[in-house]
Amino acid sequence: MAEIQFVHVSKVYGGDVTAVRDLNLQIAEGEFVVLVGPSGCGKTTALRMLAGLEEITAGEIRIADRVVNDLPPRERDIAMVFQNYALYPHKSVYENLAFGLRMRKVPRDEQRRRVEEIARVLGLGDMLNRRPAQLSGGQRQRVAMGRAIVREPKAFLMDEPLSNLDAKLRVQMRAEIARIQQALKVTTVYVTHDQVEAMTMGDRVAVMRDGELQQVDTPQRLYDAPANLFVASFVGSPPMNLFEASVRRDNGRLLCKVGDSEFELPADLEAGRPALGAYVGRSLAIGIRPEDVREASGWDGARLRGRILLVESLGSEQLVHIEFAAAPLERSDLVDTAAQPPGPSLGVGELEQAVTLLGRFDRHLLLTPGEAVEVAIDPRLLHFFDLETGLAIPSAVDTPVPAGVAG
Amino acid sequence: MSSATPIAPTPVAAVVRQGPSARRRLGLLGWNAAGIAVFVVMVFPVYWMVSTAFKTGPNIFSYSPKWLPVPATLANFGDAIHRQYFWQNVRNSLIVVGVVVVLSLTLAFLAALALAKFKFYGRRAFIVLIIAVQMVPLNALIIPLYITLSRAHQVNKLSGVIITYMTFVLPFTIWTLRGFILGVPRELEEAAMVDGTTRFGAFVRVLLPLVAPGLVATSIFAFIQAWNEYIMAYVLLSSPEKQTLTVWLASFTTNRGTAWGPLMAGATLTALPVVGFFLLVQRRIAFGLTAGAVRG
Repeated sequence: MAEIQFVHVSKVYGGDVTAVRDLNLQIAEGEFVVLVGPSGCGKTTALRMLAGLEEITAGEIRIADRVVNDLPPRERDIAMVFQNYALYPHKSVYENLAFGLRMRKVPRDEQRRRVEEIARVLGLGDMLNRRPAQLSGGQRQRVAMGRAIVREPKAFLMDEPLSNLDAKLRVQMRAEIARIQQALKVTTVYVTHDQVEAMTMGDRVAVMRDGELQQVDTPQRLYDAPANLFVASFVGSPPMNLFEASVRRDNGRLLCKVGDSEFELPADLEAGRPALGAYVGRSLAIGIRPEDVREASGWDGARLRGRILLVESLGSEQLVHIEFAAAPLERSDLVDTAAQPPGPSLGVGELEQAVTLLGRFDRHLLLTPGEAVEVAIDPRLLHFFDLETGLAIPSAVDTPVPAGVAG
Repeated sequence: MSSATPIAPTPVAAVVRQGPSARRRLGLLGWNAAGIAVFVVMVFPVYWMVSTAFKTGPNIFSYSPKWLPVPATLANFGDAIHRQYFWQNVRNSLIVVGVVVVLSLTLAFLAALALAKFKFYGRRAFIVLIIAVQMVPLNALIIPLYITLSRAHQVNKLSGVIITYMTFVLPFTIWTLRGFILGVPRELEEAAMVDGTTRFGAFVRVLLPLVAPGLVATSIFAFIQAWNEYIMAYVLLSSPEKQTLTVWLASFTTNRGTAWGPLMAGATLTALPVVGFFLLVQRRIAFGLTAGAVRG
């Protein structure tokens, strides 16, 4: 068990491709930190640098206060679970589990004791003599986990360990890994591109994009107070609704205009977000989580009028795609899923631009595509972002923690 | 080496087997006939060699071909074995082949490792060169090689022959082994290194066992090449006690004619080690040993 620190770590390939840029991240002892981001964001490179499989171009990585930059992987006392498991195909499950112990000259009896215990815990007891080829995907995954656990290393590094499992097994293993980590209290760095995995497993989640760390925080705070447009669009499924809006002042009241609808931003909201005043007369981006979009009847708040494009029933709730007139947000830092599809226009065609608003509605509401609908939004639940920098307009109460922490 | 994968067995089609249609059956017949024809063409010379080795003198020269060696005799084998230099030349051949196989596999494994795993300046050029070298016909190299070796005092020495054989065995073995090494996922070595081996340890403990089928395949190639080579050995080795078996076989053809019986017996004996070696190692050509390493 150990603390892990990334201090101004960069990785440049071939002199011009920057995979990781000035990464600062401090991982406490026993903490489960998830590195998440779209493919090519540098999360795997960061993990491989930590493992010693990739050279560090600049900066320092410390494990338990020891700079490991020039240490080979075997001297870092870490264990890694690979995306494709990387089990030794010519060795039995037992030999796979014992390999790390053998390399570390652990006495034979001790090896046997530890391997058998791990095998029992992971339900691999009957399979010790099998080869990896004779195991199912889930069992292989377990062996890969076991191989990491049995060594009792300072830290676990996991590189998308669940991405090759089917959906059901993934959910099951997700809980299992989290449970094992909590039981062993070993510092864990987990890489994934799946934000659901990140949110459900991590003590803290580090969101990366294009080699740069965007935000590190607990899953809940990441969800509630995304630091910028990218994090806002990446975290959450379905993603946050984001639109371009403008703010103006009228008789001391602050008004927000989205498309052709305008609503008041209450005084307490402005008081809590003093920076908002500076945006009067300018454009900004606003965001609202789908679950904060409500069918208007019986709710107060800002009203938006639109037309139902599509209703997706999920059983427990329904996802409603509502088309209404507003300027779509076109930015390169948005995750694809949040980008507004042009979509067929129903009814609002005479308007210049239409966007789709996603709402999570109660399953008992009767909604049909093509119907006009009015939704209510509580302005206090809105997220505000600067259009130029993409950064969140901070609220006085919960200023989003800036990405870098380490010295 | 039977690894029954415990996945669900392929469901047997519930359709009643109707057998192949007449047209398909005809096509199948054609393929089988072609297969048999190829088999006969390939096997007949071998059969003729072996059968001649057992024939008595008159039967060898009989105008109507004798298909079976009746009456059979072992006299030809006796003649061949008791011919001068036989055992000495067997020894020479074994030395040449042994050294070529071991040396070429060791060097080729290391070279293939470098080509597959490391990036270095001129790697691409080196790979291209390896292929290009194989395009040069060996016969065009005989004279330059002879001159070079003679300057290095390697003519009429087994070491000279070994060096010559390495020049055409190595490129092929490097090329083949590189392919096998590339087939092993990089993560396996990385896992081994994280588990506590050095880089070289990962090669030896993880990569080497996994490319074993490749080593076997290339060793067969190297063995056959070195054992069967005639021209270079004939040119380079002048004194009879230094010659290899293939050159020794040629000594049956003299100005006064060819001793067909003993020659065929000698040829049969010469072929035996290659067949034996192949039978010995072919069980180990178990491809797909990497199955189960990664997702599947």
